[in-house]
Amino acid sequence: MRAYFSVFRMRLKMELQYRGAMIGGIICQMFFGIVLVALYHALYESKAQAMPIEQVSTYVWLQQAFFRMMVATDPDLNDKIKNGSISYDMGRPVNLYWFYYIRVAAQKLMGSLMRGIPMMIVAFLLPKGWGMSLPTSVSGLCSGLVALFLGLLCMCALENITMAFTMRTLDPRGMQSLLNLLMVTLSGNLLPLTLFPDSWQKVITMLPYAQLLDAPIRLYSGEYPVSDMPVVLLRQAGWAAVLILLGIWMWESNRKKMIIQGG
Amino acid sequence: MLNTFHLYIRSMGMLLRSHLQYPASFIMQTLAQLVMEGGEMLAVILVIDRFENLKQWSGSNLFFFFGLMSVSFYITEFFGRGITGNFPSMVRNGQLDTLLLRPRGVLTQVLCSGVDPRRITCIAVGVTAMIMGSNMSDVSWSFLKVLALIESVLTSCMLILGLFMIEGIFCIHSVKSVELVNALTYGGRSACQYPIDIYPRPLKILFSVVAPFALTMHVPAAYILDKPLYGWPTWTVFVTPLSGVAVLFIMSMLFNRGIKFYRSTGS
Amino acid sequence: MSYIEVEGLRKTFTVRKKREKGKLFREKEIVEALKGISFTVEKGELVGYIGPNGAGKSTTVKILSGILTPESGKALVGGRVPWKDRKDYVKHIGVVFGQRSQLWWDVPIIDSFSLLKDIYKIPEKDYKTRLSELTEALQLENLMRTPLRLLSLGQKMRAELCGSLLHRPELLFLDEPTIGLDAVSKLALRDFLKWENKEHGTTIMLTTHDMEDIAALCSRVMVLGHGQKLFDGHLNDLLEKFDTVRTVSVKYDTSTPTLNLPDGVKADQKDGEIHITYSPSELPTANMLSILQNAGNIREMTLESENIDHLIAAMYKEMDL
Repeated sequence: MRAYFSVFRMRLKMELQYRGAMIGGIICQMFFGIVLVALYHALYESKAQAMPIEQVSTYVWLQQAFFRMMVATDPDLNDKIKNGSISYDMGRPVNLYWFYYIRVAAQKLMGSLMRGIPMMIVAFLLPKGWGMSLPTSVSGLCSGLVALFLGLLCMCALENITMAFTMRTLDPRGMQSLLNLLMVTLSGNLLPLTLFPDSWQKVITMLPYAQLLDAPIRLYSGEYPVSDMPVVLLRQAGWAAVLILLGIWMWESNRKKMIIQGG
Repeated sequence: MLNTFHLYIRSMGMLLRSHLQYPASFIMQTLAQLVMEGGEMLAVILVIDRFENLKQWSGSNLFFFFGLMSVSFYITEFFGRGITGNFPSMVRNGQLDTLLLRPRGVLTQVLCSGVDPRRITCIAVGVTAMIMGSNMSDVSWSFLKVLALIESVLTSCMLILGLFMIEGIFCIHSVKSVELVNALTYGGRSACQYPIDIYPRPLKILFSVVAPFALTMHVPAAYILDKPLYGWPTWTVFVTPLSGVAVLFIMSMLFNRGIKFYRSTGS
Repeated sequence: MSYIEVEGLRKTFTVRKKREKGKLFREKEIVEALKGISFTVEKGELVGYIGPNGAGKSTTVKILSGILTPESGKALVGGRVPWKDRKDYVKHIGVVFGQRSQLWWDVPIIDSFSLLKDIYKIPEKDYKTRLSELTEALQLENLMRTPLRLLSLGQKMRAELCGSLLHRPELLFLDEPTIGLDAVSKLALRDFLKWENKEHGTTIMLTTHDMEDIAALCSRVMVLGHGQKLFDGHLNDLLEKFDTVRTVSVKYDTSTPTLNLPDGVKADQKDGEIHITYSPSELPTANMLSILQNAGNIREMTLESENIDHLIAAMYKEMDL
C-alpha cells in the first residue's frame, strides 16, 4: 500500500518541477474554455434551450479542468511497447496490469489536480453564465466527487485496454488516434453530451465513455437528480468492473502470446 | 527565389516518397485522420441540428466557415509540417546546428524538412464542407468571389504558418510556457471555424489584431455568402486578408532574429 | 598568412543552476568555455584537438564552423571570418559529428546526396565526378539505394563522410568520428582521411578521445583544458613529456624468482607471468632489465609500448584537468 502512495507522491513532485510549462498549459486550456462558452452563449441567443446556459458553462469548465485526467498516458509504457522491452517485463511473475494501472492513475490524478484546481478557482470567479456555478446541493457535490473517482477508475481501465491494443499491433498510431477520437467525442469533451440529439443521448449515456466525466458533471450540476444517483454510480462501477476485467484478460492473453513468441 | 522553390519541391518529393514507403500504415493513419476530422464536422452538424442558426448566420453558412478553416489549416499542416511540427524537436536535439552548417537560410531548411501527407483526408473533408455550405446557402459564384476565396485560403495559410512560428521562436529562447502558443494556433482554429462576430468584444479584438483570422477568413467568407460587410466597400475584402501576409512577414523577421540570438548563446 | 588564424578567442555561457530550495528563481552562473585561445593552422595540415570533456573543444569547433559567435577575439579561416556571412562561409567547410547524422534517416543515401547537391548548388558535372570518386574511396556502391537507418555504424559513418565532402570543402571538422566503430572500420576510416588529405589537400581538424586516431593521423596535436590551450606541438613530444609509466611482462623458468625491485615499483603475478609497472624517469629501463635478468632465467619477456591512454590520463592529472 505504501508503495502505491509513493507513486502518487513522486508524480506530484514531477508535476511541480514543470511549473512554467504548466502555467502555459492552464492559460491555454482556459482560453479554449472561454471560446467554447462564448460560442454557446451566441448559440443560445438564437435558440434558448431547456438546460440553462449556466449549466452548459459549468459543463464546459469541468470538462476542460479534467481534460488531462482523460488523456494523460504513460510515456514510459508507450516507449517500452515500441522498443519491445515490454516482453521482458511480461515474462516476470509480477502483476503488470495493476502496476501500470496505478502508475497511470497517479499521472492522471496529479496532472489534472495541478491544472484543474487553479482553472476551477478562476472559473468560479467569472461572471454568472460564463464561469462555473456552485453545486445545487451538498449531495450533488458529494456524489459528483464519488462519480469522479469512479470515472478515474474507468479512465485508467480504458487506457490499459488501449495499451493492450498497442502491444498487439505493429503500427498503433492509427488505432490510438481512433480510440482517442471516440473518447473525446463520446465523453462530452468535443460537445457536451447534453447538447447531443435527445435520441442519441439515450444510447450514449450507456456507453463507457459517458461514465468518465459526463456522469460526475451531471451529478454535480444537479442535472441528474439525487434520486438518480444510485443508478448512475452503479452504472459507472459496473463499467469500471467490466473494463478492468476486459483489460486484465487482454493483458493476460498478450502475455501468453509473448512468452510463446519470445518477444 | 526560384532556386529556393526548386529546393522545396525536391525536398517535398523526397519526403513524400519516404512517407509512402509503408502504404498500409499510411492508409491506416490517413483514414484515422478522416474519421477524426469527420468527428469535428459531426460536432458542427449536431450543433446546427439543435440550434439551427448562430445569430444571423444560418446552419449552411456555418458549414462553409468550418470548411474554409479546415482547408486552410490542414493545407498549412500538410505543406508546412517543418514549422508546425518538426521545429521544436529540432531545437531540442541539436539538429538546428546541422541546419546552420548548410549554405541556406534556416527558415528555408525548416520548411523543407517536413510534410504531412496524412492531412489529405482532412483537406477533403474541408472541401466537402465548403461545397455543402455554399450550395445550401445558395451562393452565386462570380469571378471576384472565386478570387476572394483563393486569396482567403492563401493568406490564412500564411497567417497560420506565422502563428506556428511563434512556437519556434519561443523554443529558441527557451521559454518555458510554450503551450501558450497553442491558444492562438489550435485555439484560433477552434474559435474561428465559426463566424467571429458572434464572439464578445475581447475575442473579436484578439482575432482581428493579434491573430487576424477575422480579416483573412471572416471578411472574405461574409462577402462570398452575400452577408453584410458592416458598411465597408467591396474592395476591403481583398485588402484585409493581406494582414496574414504581414503576420508571416513579421514572424519571419522575429524568427531570424531568434536564430541570431541562438548563435550568440549556443544551446 | 596561415590558413586558420585564431587569436584570443573568448566564449562565455550563462547557465541556469539547479533550483535551490526556498528560492523562487534559478540562479544564473557564468561559465567561461573559452578563455582566450590562439593558434594557427596551415593549409593541408591534419591537426588533432584533444582535451577532457568540457574543455571547450566543441565550442571551438562551433565557432570556427560559424555556428556560434564568440564574445571577443579574432578568427580567420581562408581569409574569412567564420561567423560573418554564414551562408557564404559554410560553403567551404564540412563537419562530421560522430553521434549525430546530417543525412536523412528514412531515405536511400543516394537521395540524401542528391538533395545535398541542390542545397550546396553543386554543378551537375562536378557532383558526378566527386560522387564517383567518393563512392569508390568509401566503398559505397552497393549501399546507395539503402536508407540510412538500415546501415551499420561503420557504413553510416562512410555515408556521412561522403555527404560532408560532396561540395569539396577546404576544411573538414571531425568530432568523434570513430566512436563505436569496430577495428576494421576504424582503420578504413583513418586510411580514407589520410587519402583525402593527401589527394585534395583538405585541411582536417580532428576532435576525439581515441588516442589511436590521433597517433595514426595527426603529427600535430593541440591539448585543451579548462578553456585554455595547454599544449601545441608534435604528438611524440607530448608523449615523451608524460611518459610516466611503463609495463614489462616476464615469464621465468622457475616459479619464484628473486626480484630486487626498488621501493615503489609494483609487481603483480598472474598465471605464472609477472607484470611490473614502473616509472622510467625514476628507474631507467636499462636498470630495470638488469634487475629482471639477475632474478633468474627469463623464458619470455615483453616490454609493452606506452599505452597512450595512460599517458594522456596522467597528463590530464598533472595539468589538473
